[in-house]
Amino acid sequence: MISVSPKAILQSQTKLDLNNLSPDQVALEIKNLDLYYGEKQALQNISMSIPKGQVTAFIGPSGCGKSTLLRCINRMNDLVDICRIKGEINLHGENIYEKHVDVAALRRKVGMVFQRPNPFPKSIYENVVYGLRITGENNRRVLDEAVETSLRSAALWNEVKDRLHESALGLSGGQQQRLVIARAIAIQPEVLLLDEPTSALDPISTLTIEELINDLKKQFTVVIVTHNMQQAARVSDQTAFMYMGDLIEYNDTNTLFTTPNQKKTEDYITGRYG
Amino acid sequence: MTIALKSTGPRQLKNSLAKWLITLGGISVLFTLVLIFMYLLYVIKPIFVSAEIDKKQAFEITTSENVASIGIDELKELSYVITDDGQIDYYQLVETNQHQVGEQVYSQSLLAEDITLDQIIDISIEEKLLVGENGQVQLVSPKFMSQFAKDIRTIVPNITYPLGEDPITIDQEGQALSLVSFAMNDERAVFVAFTKDNRLIKTTLIAEDDFSYDAAHEAVYQEIDTQSSHFDDILVTPDLAMVFARSGDQVFVYDLSDDYDVELKATIIPQLSQNRTKSLHITSMALLSGSSSILLGDSSGKVSQWFEVAGEEGREFKQVRTFQAADNQKITAIYTEQFRKSFYTMTATGELGLFYTTSEAELWRGQLNSIEPVHLSISPRADALISLSGKSFSIFTVENEHPEVTWSALWKEVWYEGYPEPEYIWQSTSGSDDFEAKFSLVPISFGTIKAASYAMLFAVPIALTAAIYTAYFMTPSMRRKVKPTIELMEALPTVILGFLAGLWLAPIIEKYLPAVALLLLFLPLSVFLTAYLWFKLPKEIKIKLPETLAPLLLIPALLLAAYSAFSLSPVLEHYFFGGDVRQFITNDLNIDFDQRNALVVGIAMGFAVIPTIFSMAEDAIFSVPKHLTSGSLALGATQWQTLVKVVLLTASPGIFSAVMMGLGRAVGETMIVLMATGNTPILDWNFFEGMRTLAANIAVEMPESEVGSTHYRILFLAAFVLFVFTFIFNTAAEFIRQRLREKYSSL
Repeated sequence: MISVSPKAILQSQTKLDLNNLSPDQVALEIKNLDLYYGEKQALQNISMSIPKGQVTAFIGPSGCGKSTLLRCINRMNDLVDICRIKGEINLHGENIYEKHVDVAALRRKVGMVFQRPNPFPKSIYENVVYGLRITGENNRRVLDEAVETSLRSAALWNEVKDRLHESALGLSGGQQQRLVIARAIAIQPEVLLLDEPTSALDPISTLTIEELINDLKKQFTVVIVTHNMQQAARVSDQTAFMYMGDLIEYNDTNTLFTTPNQKKTEDYITGRYG
Repeated sequence: MTIALKSTGPRQLKNSLAKWLITLGGISVLFTLVLIFMYLLYVIKPIFVSAEIDKKQAFEITTSENVASIGIDELKELSYVITDDGQIDYYQLVETNQHQVGEQVYSQSLLAEDITLDQIIDISIEEKLLVGENGQVQLVSPKFMSQFAKDIRTIVPNITYPLGEDPITIDQEGQALSLVSFAMNDERAVFVAFTKDNRLIKTTLIAEDDFSYDAAHEAVYQEIDTQSSHFDDILVTPDLAMVFARSGDQVFVYDLSDDYDVELKATIIPQLSQNRTKSLHITSMALLSGSSSILLGDSSGKVSQWFEVAGEEGREFKQVRTFQAADNQKITAIYTEQFRKSFYTMTATGELGLFYTTSEAELWRGQLNSIEPVHLSISPRADALISLSGKSFSIFTVENEHPEVTWSALWKEVWYEGYPEPEYIWQSTSGSDDFEAKFSLVPISFGTIKAASYAMLFAVPIALTAAIYTAYFMTPSMRRKVKPTIELMEALPTVILGFLAGLWLAPIIEKYLPAVALLLLFLPLSVFLTAYLWFKLPKEIKIKLPETLAPLLLIPALLLAAYSAFSLSPVLEHYFFGGDVRQFITNDLNIDFDQRNALVVGIAMGFAVIPTIFSMAEDAIFSVPKHLTSGSLALGATQWQTLVKVVLLTASPGIFSAVMMGLGRAVGETMIVLMATGNTPILDWNFFEGMRTLAANIAVEMPESEVGSTHYRILFLAAFVLFVFTFIFNTAAEFIRQRLREKYSSL
């Protein structure tokens, strides 16, 4: 059993009934989602509701489909040619896989941060305003303001405010990852998807990012994929455990880690496999 | 347990062996490169070395009479002096078993019995004119022969009389001659003389058969109407076209082309700047080898070169360049070399100057002896000077292999003989021996740049768009087929490309010129149109087609565009260009048109460099990390925005060096430009005309250039320039690539 931190207990006080959320509490609703890579089925009949303004974590052993599921939410899987999807993901009650949906517009509402920090080879400033510039925003004042707000939200402002126009590649790994988060939140998404955001970072940077995630949920719905169970326990409100393309158990974090319903969940969190 | 700190034997051995082999490989590559560089410089260096004149030996001659003329054989083993009573004495110059240096080895009288010698005139190195007191002359040619006895070569005298041993009457009135000039070819011998009683006369000997084997002739005598009563110099040009007669500061040029009527052709009046203390005068005159130019020396030490150029009022003599041969001293004599445009000047104090006209080079200036030599002569190979002062005979070696070349002659405009103005010209050889070699590297360097530019103009847009499409938009399965196919194009021998371009493409382009212009418009249009139609196609149909085949739909569209361009071509030609575009371009637009032109080369060489650029650029674009493109897409950027703002930016070092490598290849490319350009070394950007490139020039001319000659060395210089060109392009490419890579290194 994993020891639960006081913070997790604090979070558990705002416990939600995940199977019975009111429509204004739901950020995303995944319904009967099947995903195939060619002939191979990678996700099987996933259904879950992700609540608004909370941190939801996907955990599970490598290859269980947790990253794939995350990528379905902003249609990054579209880039994979052999990928086919059945089922629905509803954002504001609208299926994002409808034909008329503008993928670029969807991705501006559902931002994503990847495992490896991926700043563009541009200045820190240009990295942050990239998402604004591609929508045609060129007003200097608006951009300046967006840079400061986003960098402050990403807890990076104090470290980089004097070198905004230097290359982003000169930052440390942890700083780069926070910059990427700032870049993602600069375009004011509703949902922020974090795909193992700390796996390439050192423990101190990891801690900073985790604190940041806690702050971010005040503004955004956060979905995080992690293979680090302690991290899931520390930062998330809800946790979904996935195994071999199936959603095995989805519950509030405290419950899942202390009294799992499923045998597989218990085996995983006690370290029998994974 | 102990840890073995030393590696075991075989492993250690392999490791150090590999290390040394790799180091050796790297060093030998560098070494070879340096060696090529050094060898090129080694071959080139002599052309920039100035001339050197050194005293080799001197001895006292034993001839007691006054000497009137001197000479030497071409191997510098035997020399002769001719005395003023017609005796020729030979002196040994190298020590042999029989003879010492300076020993008189042979003596003979040259004169016919019934003639009293008045003077001896040096017509050329091998021809001496013995002038008698009664207006008769004898032409004698003291030549030499090699004899071999027991494998030892000895040089022996071989005196010949090209016009027969009998004296030839020049002046019918039997007057003594004060000046005589002479030139001959196989059919004619022309004497122009100024008699002691002040008549300028011309005597033409017309061979009955051929002077080269029969001296029989008939003579035509005539007197020339003169503009002056006194002459100081007379020179007949070796081509028997003109005679230059100097009277004081004027030179009268008479036309000799008519055997029976001599006319004044021109008068050369040099502008002599007046010195403060004394007035300046022309003091000497000489004909430059090739017989087109005359050289005039004046009393201030200046030598000016004059030749005929096309002016506003027909052909006229112009002063083309001047040399300061001596400082405020009179030029007493000008000696010209037999085969090159070099000339020597001599002053009263014995100061010698050596110059070359085309390159305007002062090759040597200095004092041979303390006093002016009475006689000076150039050896037949122009590799030695001999002089006689009093009884002292001296031989000087002259090292002057490549006087034609100076930095300015290679890279600046030069005024060549017969040209109306200074120009950049490359013309290294000609059918005539009297030809002035024109070695300007400007037209061929320009040709290289022109060919490369047109090739890049054609190749870069195609190669880069192809690379972007293949790396970024194409499905992986199709990319796996397309990329190796394009790269395979690189293996196509360029000789085949050149052959096709020159013999197949060039005639087609010439015939269907409007079609080629239309293709430039139709091909992109058809691509966009097909893309638009595809975009508008209902999804149901699109899904049925395999995705990999979609781009193949372009092929019929492109073929259709090409077909319609070619079938429209005759129609356009008929209605807009009067039925013949070629004539329209040459006559109405006044643009020169060659069949093998820059357009053909641009396409053919563009075709050759496309694989180079494509392959490197495609790799660069393809290797842009996927997490960067995903990052951009996840921010809501479209594929196009991602491509322009992230992918191309990140791949820019690779794309840049791909273009530079392509440029380097285009600059060094030989076979295509050799076969498809026409190889005319012209300075013109017109894409309907050809060019000659450095590489093609070397390939064309190297087989016919004599090893060690100036031409040969200049071809090496051209190779060196080419080397520098490609070196600069590749180094710039590498340098910028390194800089950019540093910038993006942490990706």
